[in-house]
Amino acid sequence: MTSPVLATFSLFAGYEADLPIVRGVDFAVQKGELVILLGPNGAGKSTFVKAIAGMVPVHSGTIHLGSRDITKVAPHRKLAEGLAFVPQTDNVFASMSILENLQIAVALLPKSARAAKIDALFSRFPDLAVRPTRLAGALSGGQRQMLAVARALALDPPVLILDEPSAGLSPKIVADVFAMLKRINGDGVTIVLVEQNVKAAMAIADRAVILAEGRIRHEGTPSELADDPLIGQIYLGTARHTFGEVAR
Amino acid sequence: MNPQFLMDGLIAGAIIGLGAIGVTLTYSILRFSNFAHGEFLTWGAYLALCISSALGVLGAGFTTPLGPFSFGWSLPIAAVLAIALTGLLALAVDALLFSSFRRRGSAIIIMVMASFGASLALRSLLEFLFTSKPAYFSQALQIAMKLGGGLRATPDQLAMLVVALVSVIAVHLIMTRTDIGRAMRAVSENPGLAGIAGIDVRGVIRTVWFLGAALACIAGMMSGLIIQIRPYLGHDLLLPLFAAAILGGIGSVPGAMIAGLVIGLCEAFTVQIIGAEWRSAVSFAILIAVLVVRPRGLFGKAS
Repeated sequence: MTSPVLATFSLFAGYEADLPIVRGVDFAVQKGELVILLGPNGAGKSTFVKAIAGMVPVHSGTIHLGSRDITKVAPHRKLAEGLAFVPQTDNVFASMSILENLQIAVALLPKSARAAKIDALFSRFPDLAVRPTRLAGALSGGQRQMLAVARALALDPPVLILDEPSAGLSPKIVADVFAMLKRINGDGVTIVLVEQNVKAAMAIADRAVILAEGRIRHEGTPSELADDPLIGQIYLGTARHTFGEVAR
Repeated sequence: MNPQFLMDGLIAGAIIGLGAIGVTLTYSILRFSNFAHGEFLTWGAYLALCISSALGVLGAGFTTPLGPFSFGWSLPIAAVLAIALTGLLALAVDALLFSSFRRRGSAIIIMVMASFGASLALRSLLEFLFTSKPAYFSQALQIAMKLGGGLRATPDQLAMLVVALVSVIAVHLIMTRTDIGRAMRAVSENPGLAGIAGIDVRGVIRTVWFLGAALACIAGMMSGLIIQIRPYLGHDLLLPLFAAAILGGIGSVPGAMIAGLVIGLCEAFTVQIIGAEWRSAVSFAILIAVLVVRPRGLFGKAS
């Protein structure tokens, strides 16, 4: 087996030093995988990915991006290292235009390469190109997610982590967002996705990891998890038949 | 009514506006009211005075008045150096005081109290070094020129208005057209997101301190040139600075400048209509009125 593109080893993390929310997580993602993190509310899914992104303090353990230990790398350097993160809420600069959001995203590139990269992002996300001067705060939920993902992809990161991109979106828009993520994954970007929308997420995932109480409880392919009679009801709060329908 | 109050108000407003830009940037990005900001105006003026005087000692040619102005080359040269030194002073104050509170995640009130302490220390140090006696960049007397419409201004005053206009346009362009300006606005809106978007938040904070102090230095020099230099120069301007920052809308550079001009004009109008003893009350009245009627100011964003 090849070495993982992203891995955590015995990771403990949380907002308070003496109160870890993530409790010793060993996690690995192979290059090109689309992995979803599932689990009940309060399981520590968001805290886990925020700790990887550098937004929540790591108490102990390590985070590796490829062969590099990025545990102590400052959050703003992780993007340049190849790790992009899209938070669940407030994931665009609402008071700035679409173009300004993308200009911030490409600021780490050489000046000569920026315009071409923004053009490429507009080609990839044509809805954003309709009115680039529009304020990000005036966009719909789906368009905001699109802009947040475009911003995250500006440096062509090998790994993209998203925290509940479907939160607050209508079913139609959720389908669009997940189709977009599947396309991005098809382009070679490894994706780690925290999701509450089990049905939609399982449909596009290569592998699912279930967290509960800050620890990994189960992992496997969607069909493997679907065959487990207890997992859906205990950890996901979904009936088995719904879970199985999706996986099969 | 004598229309001269318009010119007096514009000149006072330009000084207030430049100082208020530093207040509004600090507040929007560091999220606390820096009561030591007035001292950056004072230190800027004294630093420029020291450098200008030193240049005068080095060569009399430096102090020979330039054209119609009361100052020679010593002042523009001193201005450049004083701006850099005042910026470094602000960075030093941040490194010694505020950055440790940020690291510990201290409450905003602690930062505000610390800024009061910094203000007292910086002002007392100036009084210790220079005494309370007023100082002047130049002893030359200038005759105000007629500008038409009943307005008069000295060449120094007109030069200061041009400097203020150029400064505010430059800062506005920096904020809207450059990487560092967009980074400052991004940090102001969401520091966490700015970090994961690749922005060095600490670097942005350092830039804000430097830029705010640089503008304070210009404002302090303007006040020193047009009125006089004394240890309470910046402290006495603090209320109008905060009133302008809030009236303009926290985070808005053009807002701070326009609000500074509004306050300057209101003060000058009050002096003419009611009396000079009511000048300070104007800032209070505007501050209270804005907080009651429109807390986000003229150009601020609704929270």
